[in-house]
Amino acid sequence: MVEPRASRLLRPETLTALGIIAVAAAFLIPALELRANSALLPVAMLIGLIVLATVLLISDQRKAAAGHVSKPMTKAPGRVAGAFLLVIAYVVATSLIGFYPATIITVPLVAHVFGYRSFFGLAAATLIVVGAIYLVFDYAMAQQFPTGLLLGR
Amino acid sequence: MYSELLHALPEVLTFANFMAVIVGVVAGIVVGAMPGLSATMAISVLVPFTFGMSPLVALGLMAGIYNGAMYGGAIPAVLLRIPGTPAAVATTFDGYPMAQKGQGGFALQVAVVSSSIGGIASAIALMVLAPPLSRVTLLFGPSEVFWVAIFGLASIIFLLGGNPVKGLISACFGVFVSVIGSDPIFGNDRFTFGQLEMLDGINIVILLVGLYALPPVIDLLEVPLKTDGVNGSKLGTEPIWRALPRMKRFWKTWIRSSIIGIWIGILPGAGGSMAAFMSYNEARRASRTPDTWGNGEPEGVAAAETANNADTASALIPALTLGIPGTAVAAVMLGGLLIHGLQPGPMLFRENPDIVFGFMWQFLFGAILLVLLGGSLATNSFARLLNLPRPLLGSVIIVLMLIGVYSIHGRMFDVYLMLLFGAIGYVMDKLKFPLPPVVLGLILGGFAEENLRLALRIGRGDWSILFANVTSLVIVALTVAVIVGPMIKRLLSKDGKTAEGN
Amino acid sequence: MLKFISKAVLAGTVLLAAGAAEAADYPDKPIEVIVGFDAGGGTDVMARTVAPFIEKYLGDGASVVIKNVPGASGQIGVTQAANAAPDGYTLGTFNLPGMMARTIDRKSDYDLDSFTYLANVVNDPNVIVTSKASGLDTLDKLIAEAKANPGSVTVGMSSLGGDDHFALIKLQNLIGTEFTIVPFKGSAPARTALMGGHVAMGILNISEVAKFRDQLNVLGVALNKRSDFAPDLPTFKEQGLDLVNGAMRGFIAPAGLPDDAKSKLEMAFSKLKDDPDFLKAMKDTANPVEVVTGDDFKAMTKDIYDLAKKVWETTPWN
Repeated sequence: MVEPRASRLLRPETLTALGIIAVAAAFLIPALELRANSALLPVAMLIGLIVLATVLLISDQRKAAAGHVSKPMTKAPGRVAGAFLLVIAYVVATSLIGFYPATIITVPLVAHVFGYRSFFGLAAATLIVVGAIYLVFDYAMAQQFPTGLLLGR
Repeated sequence: MYSELLHALPEVLTFANFMAVIVGVVAGIVVGAMPGLSATMAISVLVPFTFGMSPLVALGLMAGIYNGAMYGGAIPAVLLRIPGTPAAVATTFDGYPMAQKGQGGFALQVAVVSSSIGGIASAIALMVLAPPLSRVTLLFGPSEVFWVAIFGLASIIFLLGGNPVKGLISACFGVFVSVIGSDPIFGNDRFTFGQLEMLDGINIVILLVGLYALPPVIDLLEVPLKTDGVNGSKLGTEPIWRALPRMKRFWKTWIRSSIIGIWIGILPGAGGSMAAFMSYNEARRASRTPDTWGNGEPEGVAAAETANNADTASALIPALTLGIPGTAVAAVMLGGLLIHGLQPGPMLFRENPDIVFGFMWQFLFGAILLVLLGGSLATNSFARLLNLPRPLLGSVIIVLMLIGVYSIHGRMFDVYLMLLFGAIGYVMDKLKFPLPPVVLGLILGGFAEENLRLALRIGRGDWSILFANVTSLVIVALTVAVIVGPMIKRLLSKDGKTAEGN
Repeated sequence: MLKFISKAVLAGTVLLAAGAAEAADYPDKPIEVIVGFDAGGGTDVMARTVAPFIEKYLGDGASVVIKNVPGASGQIGVTQAANAAPDGYTLGTFNLPGMMARTIDRKSDYDLDSFTYLANVVNDPNVIVTSKASGLDTLDKLIAEAKANPGSVTVGMSSLGGDDHFALIKLQNLIGTEFTIVPFKGSAPARTALMGGHVAMGILNISEVAKFRDQLNVLGVALNKRSDFAPDLPTFKEQGLDLVNGAMRGFIAPAGLPDDAKSKLEMAFSKLKDDPDFLKAMKDTANPVEVVTGDDFKAMTKDIYDLAKKVWETTPWN
């Protein structure tokens, strides 16, 4: 079974290799503006990345030509994307509304969305996590967490 | 000097000072076990509070935390393949496969016993050999330190995994990340995009949490709910006295890894992760069955954990005598010492013998207490965390990651950076790019560059300075032996096989 | 809605109270001091040592809280302090020549006029040291060698654009020769390289060598008169070399501080230099004291800025 041309370019390793080449090439522009000694190691690493990624690209395309079908990166792309989005949303929420409110919302939300539905369990877990963090970090160690840009202090 | 050592002992054994060590060890294990929270972070959070404490209470807490955290990092490394601290990366190699085989409990016991042995060896080295060992540190100028870094980088070739191209890509990536920030000589920006937050370079914890902790969390959430957690019930625990006899055969590894850990500790800048990597490699090379390594060989856990505790007290040797810390944690501790008017230097031992030697005793007691406290704490209570339902465990780890990364410098910028590394880490994990070369590249890349360029400045541009003295040449020879040795061995054994085949 | 009203009322009361109280009793809430370095660093230890004494001299249960905002050699913290509300409740630590040099060698969001200059507290003078292995055990020998073979003497110091570097540039101009600069990351590695004989000469600060006198040759102190920190060390002036330079650490507030807060704070800082407990605490933590307050501090900063600017224009360091 031979993959069609378009999907040969969409193999995960091929995409990754192309991505590495693009990003490394983009970094090369500022790298080449540095002074000789300062540029030495960064330029060496970037060129190394480009060369190695090219090797990876060729070997992956050879595999494709030989009829080897790549495995998909995940069986549940929806859940993976959802998990990533939730983590990002949590971090953004922390900067906007502050650490404690964001955490109180996130802990039960993530667990609930991904299938843990016990009300008691969720409430207990949230309480223990937030309470322990407050006691150890805020109360005992006087660590300050973000209070949020929107609410301020 | 040894009478002063004894003189300091009664003071250490007073209630408050001894309790400080106990509290420190427990706190250290907990901190180390939380992905994202490291010993460096815990001690730097603690430092401002030590202002009001008596010196030995403050130092006892620090000594305890340092010892505890170096072991604590092994707990998630074994159970979840998330190293709790940078130094626990090498523990994942065999610890996690053991847990998957249902030997997680034994892996943790090996880890705690080995940690303790490494810590005791290190504390004794600090107590007995601090002045002579600090003279060894003086032998290492920039060109010698450069070769040490190269020696460490050379061990990347053993970490490349099945596909060398991918392994090298990982290594190049790690080294490239290490050059981000201000140039080590001129101080001009490199790839910071004008962000002051990136001027000091990218903290290892940010990268580590992103690469190692985020992908497993996504994995925990990817698989639909299983309420039984991560096979927590199959830890395979047994009382530690029954596990001990099975560890007898590690004695050579314990000695070798302790020496490696102590040696890496007294060299400035390298630190616990390099000690663990090197001792793992050396132990595997010495093993009669190198093929079992990486598939759940308990001796691998022993090697890594002995070494990352063996560099704790020894990292303080150059810190106390020369003011140059051997590890990031020792650097923070130096601050803690300064607060109490203890200025590092050769005079320190004469001016404040009771406190300095008391501090050393506390290290020793911390290491011994580790077995007693860590043995029961880890296997009996901590590991139960894994019985949590997967979605809950995932969301708790996410919160810990945020706290850990945020607390390094108290800024959200680092957390966003961690997310970026997390996305990269996820792709790398799925496509089987090995992660250890990234960590080693980040730790040693910039370190090697800085020292190379300092050496070249001292030599006024003449590269021959790199080979100008005996110490350098010895390390170069060692590096060549480590790289070429296995190749020759492989060639020879191949020849042997073909000969037999004929 | 109810909540909003109660909040508004509360805010109103607080405002009124604050307005009435402002003139009379600054400070009526904790004063935050932003330290641009990690807890346990030299500047942090200075700030934490100073804090209780400032509380004492402000009186009335005043409280001073240290907040560490580390990064970019203190630049992140000092930028935050410069941009804070000038109400006397946010102060910052200030390092010279570093903070001014950064306005020259990179883009910065503050300048000479962004601050109310409260007090400089520490002046850690530079010293010139040589390694035992170099054999250059007097200033004359060192200068003779440097002049005979320009560039042959390697100088270990902490990073470029700091006080060590300016001291070396002054020295080079005074004696008219070149040295080879080896900029380590911080003074401790530089000092260790000196002790190991990997570099011949070093420029450090007096507090950094006080405990290492036996392992190094300390050739002189860059002060006008001998330092209390090591009274037996001769100054360069005594040896016929007009070299005066050092690292300064002090406190600033954002520009535009109310007069009341400014005068109270200046008064509190000016009392430090006569407090024996304070002097002892500073000596224990390796901080040589030299208190300079208000306009004198600003003039000092201006001089250092002008010097740095001149140096940058002739020999930029990056």
